Amino acid sequence: MGVDRRAFLGLVAGGAVGTMFTPIPWKLLDDVSIWTQNWPWIPKVPKGQIDYVTTTSKLCPAGEGLKIMRVAGNPITASGNPAHPLSSGGVSALARSEVYMLYSPARVKSPMKKSGKAFVPITWEQALIEMADKLGAAKGSVACISGDQSGTVNEVLSAFVGKLGTAGYFMMPSEATTAAKGMQVMGGKGQAGYDFENADTVLVLGADIFETWGTSTRNRKAFSAKRPVGVKPASNYIYVGPTRNNTAAVCDQWIPASAADLGVVALGIAWHLIKAGATSAAPGFDTLRAVVNGGFGPDDVKRATGIEPAVLAGVAKALASSKAAMVVTGSPFGQGLGAGAFMAGMALNILLGRINKPGGVYALPELATVVPGAMTREAMLKADLPGFLKAVADGKKPAPKALLVYDANPAYGLPEAATMAKALEKIPYKVSFSSFMDETAAMCDLVLPNSLTLERYDDVVTPYGSGFCIYSLVTPYQKPVHDTRPTGDVILALARKLSIELKFDNFLQVLKEKVASLAKTSGGFVAKDVMPWQVAAGKPAPALAGGDLWKALSAGYAWTMVGSVTQTGLGFAPEVLAKAVKPGKTSGKTVTLAPYAQLRTGTPTTGIPCQDLTMVPDTELLGETTMVRMGSATAKALGVKPGAMVKLTGAGTHCKAQVHIFESVMTGVVSAPLGFGHTAFDIFSKGKGANYLALLPVTEEPGTGMSMWAAAEVKIA
Amino acid sequence: MSGHSFKEFPITWGMVIDIDKCTGCGACMASCQTENNVNPQPEATNKLRSTSWMLVYELTNDKAFPDHDVAFLPRPCQQCGNPPCVSVCPVVATDKNEDGGIVSQIYPRCIGCRYCVAACPYHVRYFGWYDPIWPEGMTKTLSPLTSVRPRGVVEKCTFCHHRWNLAKDAARAAGKDPEDLEDGAYVTACVQNCPSGALSFGDLKNPKHKVHELIKSPYAFRLLERLGTKPQVYYISRREWVRKLGDNYLKSEKTE
Repeated sequence: MGVDRRAFLGLVAGGAVGTMFTPIPWKLLDDVSIWTQNWPWIPKVPKGQIDYVTTTSKLCPAGEGLKIMRVAGNPITASGNPAHPLSSGGVSALARSEVYMLYSPARVKSPMKKSGKAFVPITWEQALIEMADKLGAAKGSVACISGDQSGTVNEVLSAFVGKLGTAGYFMMPSEATTAAKGMQVMGGKGQAGYDFENADTVLVLGADIFETWGTSTRNRKAFSAKRPVGVKPASNYIYVGPTRNNTAAVCDQWIPASAADLGVVALGIAWHLIKAGATSAAPGFDTLRAVVNGGFGPDDVKRATGIEPAVLAGVAKALASSKAAMVVTGSPFGQGLGAGAFMAGMALNILLGRINKPGGVYALPELATVVPGAMTREAMLKADLPGFLKAVADGKKPAPKALLVYDANPAYGLPEAATMAKALEKIPYKVSFSSFMDETAAMCDLVLPNSLTLERYDDVVTPYGSGFCIYSLVTPYQKPVHDTRPTGDVILALARKLSIELKFDNFLQVLKEKVASLAKTSGGFVAKDVMPWQVAAGKPAPALAGGDLWKALSAGYAWTMVGSVTQTGLGFAPEVLAKAVKPGKTSGKTVTLAPYAQLRTGTPTTGIPCQDLTMVPDTELLGETTMVRMGSATAKALGVKPGAMVKLTGAGTHCKAQVHIFESVMTGVVSAPLGFGHTAFDIFSKGKGANYLALLPVTEEPGTGMSMWAAAEVKIA
Repeated sequence: MSGHSFKEFPITWGMVIDIDKCTGCGACMASCQTENNVNPQPEATNKLRSTSWMLVYELTNDKAFPDHDVAFLPRPCQQCGNPPCVSVCPVVATDKNEDGGIVSQIYPRCIGCRYCVAACPYHVRYFGWYDPIWPEGMTKTLSPLTSVRPRGVVEKCTFCHHRWNLAKDAARAAGKDPEDLEDGAYVTACVQNCPSGALSFGDLKNPKHKVHELIKSPYAFRLLERLGTKPQVYYISRREWVRKLGDNYLKSEKTE
């Protein structure tokens, strides 16, 4: 029986239809898909009991409380702790990285000693013996640089260095340094604290309050609380600064002004306030009025800054007519602003009667020290690190014989990097207590790895910007991943070797004593059902249940206190203001450099957290090139085209950049991202872009003598 | 758009994003990545090859200084009511089903053809170009709640669907109705961690949930609404230029 054409076609058609309806090919496709995805190198997710524990972030300067998810006891992710006043459930991109930074490729895995150009691992005992020997020989000339702005470990370090014979105890420059200098010059006492929760009109002079300034996570939560979604805002935020940055993007008004002119803007507003009848009994008011009338009238300010008189009059009116106005001053990138601008901002707060008032600026008391011989925070913040290192580099001051660097990276995170590196090279013996192999660690003779947040006991004491005193605990939830130790313990062990009496055997004892001292402080309470800003607004503070404060802190709650230091001499210091606040000028073919910092690019001590690199837009970093932002008018004046590669020159050095046209940068200004250009760390940080901080020369602020570098001219070619 | 009819579900999870509060910090992106086991990417600035289920876009009004304005737009999967990605998938690896109206993606079934990537007008779908590699030891931080996807498949935001399962379990354990969760009992990682409070999440159809009211705001809009995809992600902005940009209005186009 033959198969004719008709039968054959029928067979083919039947086969085709049959194939369509049989599940076999689809099943095979599904199976092939599954088989080809089941590779052994695809990581399997862990299994086990899920639970949550709490601690506080030490990587993020905002000091937010964290809730850590664990699986079978291993930390997995970090999120914001809803019960912590500096978090209220929110978290920054940097604090979120606390868990996976434990396994960062840049971590220093054991004590390391420099041998030629490389490092060799040594034991902790060998490291302690060497340090005891070297520091013993360097007695009388040991300096310390600390990058931890809020930890009690500074008490241990400063007492230790003090008993060795200190050549200086320096904090890395920050907003706290500037504010402390400003308060001191104005005759004030206490740390400036800002009550965002109760403020209804906030004038922000330069400070990137929603990104890198102070308690930024808490600031955003306070901002958000007054602006329920879809409802008319119950607060008014005005931003003054060179770019419409992360903060300005959500403010109600942006007033473009160079970082060099922030003080001028503040005194220009003071002119309007005084004209409208504002007065003050604070010392120096009459002279301030004369200074303001003499050089900061509307026309003067317009000439210097380009700001129309009506704009400043509107700001003054908004502040004066508000029930709870507040002025916040800071550098757009968190450092380098002279004390003059801070003082001018504080002058506005005094004129508005907003000192130690709800929704205003509180002068916060410092918590008592517990380590004998320790420096107070006020004393620590007095030292001027860039000024000191510059003097060492120039040979005007002798280099210390030994330097201890704790949680700081001055070789990368200071301006005029070449000068700072030169100064550091002059110091014959350097030890870095760093968790990561950063630029400074790479220059040191000994690197002693500090355990990370989740591996150590530590604390956070009233970070700068907080509107209330706050203390929260850092609790270890796992054994150190590598052969690391908490620096507090290492210093105490070293002190024993050198027969230096510091009272405590380990750092946990120090913290327990600190907490015990808090339990005795009157007015303090655990923020649980009542938050400190509610107490500031008049709600009675709950009593502190004695005896279980450590337990409450371990459970993630914070000790808080709404307090203010009585001011007996806080005045305007108009003579200093008159010298410090001068209009800045740009000239010729230069532009003013306005750097900006973001938590997603980490800090000088963390590098760029590996997960956070995804958050960097391609208008900021493309491959290995960072971009600088400028308006089209600036680009035209400089003769550069969008996308062009340019060379920025300043402070005797230069950096490359690609031009990105961004119209929210004021004319005559070029805005550059910080956090890039690392020569150390790992594949997530090293070699990516340029460090534009290096282009900023350090100058001395007239009147205060403080080092400043918030705005500088750079050449672009 | 997709040719499929719009599906209605009794529970419709949705997100409302207040653009006027977003500072563009990226905390939502960081939260999403660690929650959902997206591996660290050293070459992450290449946005055509990197993976980020939640991405923050920078919007501008395109005016010159000083009238220039900036806004940040966080963009998760829009969980379209009428998803263009579903109808083009040849192996039914993606689907829109009763699970709260969340568009699902079954990774082992995906053959990597990327039709869905091409079909999605919001660019929310990501093709894994590289093996998911974590630095040594970092796999200890993997979340047990989301599988790790191999290269060669498409992945996307799932509104942290695993959290819904956890919330339902918690409700059952507490003797409550898992199909009627309280507002806030189930939120995504990005919503939970946003320090600006710009993100809200809930059942769009449940009057007890905040988002139910928020989406009625005169300032609320959805992205590319004219395409008819009916996203379950809403945005709110008092700025008209932001709302117009959200629906890709041409400069010459009348909006009234």
